[in-house]
Amino acid sequence: MGVAVMGVGICGFTPTSTGLSYREIIVKAAKMAYEDAGVSLDQIDGAVSVEEDFISGYSIADEYVPDQLGMVLKPIYTIPGDFLHGLSSAVMQIETGAFKVVVVQSYSKASNMLSKDELLRFAFDPVYNRLGVSPHWAAGIEMRSFLADSEYSLDDVAEVVVKNKANAIFNTNAPYGGDWKSRDVLESRPVATPITEAMIARHADGAVVVVLGIDEIAREYSRKPVYITGTGWGSGNSILERRDQADSIGTRIAAERAYAEAGIADPAREIDAFFISDIYAHRELMHAQALGLGGHDSVIINPNGGALGGGDLFEATGGARLYEAVTQLRGEAGACQIQAKRALVHGWRGIPTDSCAVAILDTERRAS
Amino acid sequence: MSQRVAVIGAGMTKFVRRAQDSPGELAAQAVQMALDDAGMTIDDIDAVCLGTAPDAFDGVHMKGEHLIAGAGGTNKPYMRHYVGGGTGVMSPIHGWMHVASGKFDTCLVVTEEKMSPCNPHPAGAFLTIFDRVTEQPLELTLIHIFALEMARFMHVYGYTERDIAWVSANNKRNALDHPAAQIAQNITVDDVMASTLLSWPVKRLDISPTSDAAVAIIMSNERVARARKSCPVFVDGVGYRLDTAYWCTRDLAYPRYVAMAAQDAYKMAGVVDPARDIDIFEPYDPFDYKALHHMNGLLLDKTGRTVRELLESGAFERNGSHPLCPSGGALGVGNPIAATGLMKIAELYFQLSGQAGARQVAKKAHRGVAQAWGDLMQVGTVVVMSSEGSQPTFQSAWQSMEREDLGGTGIKNVEDGPHVCDEPELSYAWDNGEGITNYLDGLKKGKIRASYDRDGGRMMIPPRTFSEIYDLSPAGGYFDMPDTGTVMTYTLSHVNWDSSPLPDGKINIFAVIAVDAAGPNMGLVHMLGEVKPEDVKIGMRVRAVWKKAKDREGAITDILYFKPNNAEPDSALFPTPIKPVEINAVTAGQKCARIPLTYKYTAGVAGKAFCEALLEGRIVGTRSPRTERLLVPPSIYDEIGMDAVDHEEQLVDIDPNSGFLESFTTVHEDRSGEMLDQPLVIAQVRFPDVDGSIFGKLVLDAGDAPVIGAAVGLVKPASWSGPDDVSFKLL
Repeated sequence: MGVAVMGVGICGFTPTSTGLSYREIIVKAAKMAYEDAGVSLDQIDGAVSVEEDFISGYSIADEYVPDQLGMVLKPIYTIPGDFLHGLSSAVMQIETGAFKVVVVQSYSKASNMLSKDELLRFAFDPVYNRLGVSPHWAAGIEMRSFLADSEYSLDDVAEVVVKNKANAIFNTNAPYGGDWKSRDVLESRPVATPITEAMIARHADGAVVVVLGIDEIAREYSRKPVYITGTGWGSGNSILERRDQADSIGTRIAAERAYAEAGIADPAREIDAFFISDIYAHRELMHAQALGLGGHDSVIINPNGGALGGGDLFEATGGARLYEAVTQLRGEAGACQIQAKRALVHGWRGIPTDSCAVAILDTERRAS
Repeated sequence: MSQRVAVIGAGMTKFVRRAQDSPGELAAQAVQMALDDAGMTIDDIDAVCLGTAPDAFDGVHMKGEHLIAGAGGTNKPYMRHYVGGGTGVMSPIHGWMHVASGKFDTCLVVTEEKMSPCNPHPAGAFLTIFDRVTEQPLELTLIHIFALEMARFMHVYGYTERDIAWVSANNKRNALDHPAAQIAQNITVDDVMASTLLSWPVKRLDISPTSDAAVAIIMSNERVARARKSCPVFVDGVGYRLDTAYWCTRDLAYPRYVAMAAQDAYKMAGVVDPARDIDIFEPYDPFDYKALHHMNGLLLDKTGRTVRELLESGAFERNGSHPLCPSGGALGVGNPIAATGLMKIAELYFQLSGQAGARQVAKKAHRGVAQAWGDLMQVGTVVVMSSEGSQPTFQSAWQSMEREDLGGTGIKNVEDGPHVCDEPELSYAWDNGEGITNYLDGLKKGKIRASYDRDGGRMMIPPRTFSEIYDLSPAGGYFDMPDTGTVMTYTLSHVNWDSSPLPDGKINIFAVIAVDAAGPNMGLVHMLGEVKPEDVKIGMRVRAVWKKAKDREGAITDILYFKPNNAEPDSALFPTPIKPVEINAVTAGQKCARIPLTYKYTAGVAGKAFCEALLEGRIVGTRSPRTERLLVPPSIYDEIGMDAVDHEEQLVDIDPNSGFLESFTTVHEDRSGEMLDQPLVIAQVRFPDVDGSIFGKLVLDAGDAPVIGAAVGLVKPASWSGPDDVSFKLL
């Protein structure tokens, strides 16, 4: 059975979204996705929402999912993960044969969360790791280990920021594009050395809704289905003291499964574009290496500007990359358009995790 | 695709009010037991999925990530899911997806809840389940909405408090035979009736306790199951449904979401008549009435006749024809939310494979159903399981399991050992958006405002910009409503939002009020006043009492309360169309809030050893016996092999002056993101021949410049109150 992205919808992405409630940005993205997919609500079997309690501000945030999706009384559950974890779960759900069309939803009201660093600190182990300083310390430790262990230099990290912000200039949904120089990145305010302010993606608001369906339904209703030929997810050790700080094992596990499902042996050659988590600039390089792209300078990574250009949308971040990948494969990416028939989308939960997910998208249904 | 899925092993910790064990330690002990039960090692597990409900209990943001190591998810496909209190039975459903999809042969399903770190009381974590604008300012808690639902259930189905109390007595008695049970008791209906009244009709013994525990099961495809167990128990059907979050817009008496989830599961399992085709019932019973309320849904009987007949005939006893919660349920075993649901799945596995020992039901049972429920009285999760052929008789450790055979250490007081206190400063400013801006504007003007659902022919309170039940169609304008209505259900409360008692003699009356001219069941939750508690009745007519105009601020508390109003609905009362507020930079408001919770964490079992050594200037690790890894910080489990590690016998001292810098960072901001006057250096310090490291501050003298590989030593701390007291110096 093939699973396709039948439709996508977004609202945002902007530094604030004052005047619209979280329900109101989601309903906008949902309407867009359903129209794009060509389905009516009664054709949708269920939904997966992707969110975290303390970011939404609600305990058991899944309560507030069904209404603005128009999915009252349908099968719904919540995945606290990156959007791509939710996508992977929805694909799995369809592959059981019990569901044909499933919606995946996530949103960010980052501008409403006034204590982001304090919240991130609250994700650390209270006994060993919850230090009284900025939680970015963990990213600083990680980046230094990565640079010491890999062939990449500080300048390479700066170039990631330069590239993604430049790519975002032409992305109408990216608020943080700009013509930066490497020096601007390296000399920006230090946060947790060697990490500077410019190496950390800024937050943004927005909602992403994606409609998935089985091949037969996608072909019948969707304007331009894009096939999901492989998914995978994986987590490195949650005990930071015993994790290899220089590598993303989570990405390796995720990619291995996704490549196997999609029948990909040489990703740098067989995949045209990579949409990779760059919440911290060094992570784009670390993830690319773990995806098997080390030493391939010509691969296209984050052609729409990534999170450094488009914003960190918390759990919806991977959803924004997925939206970009789908529009690229359909030839609807506007001024960001590149030539691509097959794309890889990658999501990461951010510090203090090494939990990642990967999806392979294709204009055609190729692998078995 | 569509692989048949079986449960082939289960493990759990004791259920306790307060555990010494850290969340990860609880999970790891349940996982080890489940692996042993299935005759497997962690290497046989292809994927791990975790169910745990609000992060506010354990007190860790993204707690699923925090639990990876303990849940056996390190270096594996690992994913967390939740649906509030329904999570426990959603967990095997998510596990089922992993295997049924054909993606994985085996899946380890873990549930964990450590509720005790949350202060002032774990119930406080429920304050933020309510809508932040329309409900939280009323300081509701879970007991209140349970009580509202229970009162409505009693009213519609004619149950008395005594009828319902039978469930509590039954379940607590059944739990006497459960090795994990926290509050098993031999009590009578009279005992329940005599227990402290919390929020009428809810009394202390109607409620399950708060608990710390973990439960794990192993799920596999049929091939793996048949190779390992003489009697696999199969998952035949699954269902889960989530109703609207606008809970005041539906009749609380019948859980239609449970019935729909059950129908999904029955269809998949080939169950035609559940009362006839199912042998054992494990409905979710966080409150005693919930078991009966859910049974109406599980038996697909909105009339409630079947459940009443079964209750009155004694069929629900363990040796009856329809055993109800033979495990002892949440009321007897305990209620660590997500872990409770999976405990029920484990009970079906034990019962249907003949491993339930003293709890084994008298009848030959081949098929059972387990169910969980949660959120804003809104989600139903249902699993149907069955064994094959005649009831098996193979020997199992579970048949004679004792409480001391289970992991987990109960403690009286967190402060008796090393612990960490934390007060996260979590603050928010929520964009109200168009719908709520108009609602609050109405309240400020002394009006209850609605938006019109043209397709549904109803007035929506609070107003929304879309119809949640009619194709998300846009709302057709805003209207001011009459401020009169009818009480649909109510509770007489003696407790605050954090479960602390109200001052002597004070009673808060909460009610769901259907607003006149809005449409059936369209209402809001608020308080009643100017009425004696004994005079409140369902069906009573009420009218809003407003604050004075000058004191109104655009909040739900602009209505002080509703008071009795003897007038019948006036047909002359009708919605008045109004011009909505233009949303602009001035009117687009935010609701500011902070989460008022504080936390007290035990150091954990291994953490206690670490802290005690640290205070003596020592660093200790534990040696994992099979892999011989020397784990730093110490651990009672090896997260790679998931082997148990004895934290006393395997404790190893490490030279505190043998460290070297693995990595370091100079941090320029404090925990809230403000610039520090004096940057701090955080170091990752590794030790020779050790698997692991320690993070701490690096104390530098003038002119010191850290480099990777530099030799460092531990600074003996004067006291320990958390990770900030760990520091190193260059040697």
